[in-house]
Amino acid sequence: MVLDWVLVILGEILIAIGIFCDLVASIGMLRFPNFYVRLHACTVGTIGGAFVPLIGAALVAAGSEFLGTYRWFMAGGAVVTAILILILAPAGSHALARATHRAKVTPVYPKIADHLEEDEKLLEEG
Amino acid sequence: MVSEMSIEAHVTTFILYAIPVYILAFTLYIIRALKGPSISDIVLAIDALTYDLAAFLVILSILFRSPILIPTAIVLALWVYALDIYVAKYLEAKDMGE
Repeated sequence: MVLDWVLVILGEILIAIGIFCDLVASIGMLRFPNFYVRLHACTVGTIGGAFVPLIGAALVAAGSEFLGTYRWFMAGGAVVTAILILILAPAGSHALARATHRAKVTPVYPKIADHLEEDEKLLEEG
Repeated sequence: MVSEMSIEAHVTTFILYAIPVYILAFTLYIIRALKGPSISDIVLAIDALTYDLAAFLVILSILFRSPILIPTAIVLALWVYALDIYVAKYLEAKDMGE
């Protein structure tokens, strides 16, 4: 009984952190100036806004007896989804950023150093 | 004492307060997806929107007490990764492949 309360409160804290990250990431996605800066908001939104609340939802489901026997299925499914997102989200956004830079879809505007561009120039010169 | 309120009422109240914030965040993501100047911006906004939608579906399945919503979350996470790789391949080669 006490353990159920601990699981539910811990899960709700994680879900609250996730909601905060989600809102901050969506505001950043709307306000940031270009694609490469928006990648940062996307990372906050996927790891902070999806991975963390999924672990929290798994804890809440494990501690909620009113869900019946299926609560273990729900907790397990939430953990599997969280691990998938943890692995797939960085891989996907990295592939998208690399393709965007290679195809020169948007200019790299607030630029301090661009090693990928320098490498491409070196390759073209031979 | 903590147990003045049952776990069921506590969880339900918490999720009911969480839903409007999620809806607001989804609205902002959709505005960026509609405005996005390049195709990369659109795909990035859809990316973040769909991962958050997967988390939202798991939370909704607790609220509705229906485990049938869990497999849809797993499928959403896998689908949007496929979208990322497809668009990255299209941008690099201007060809969708097989």
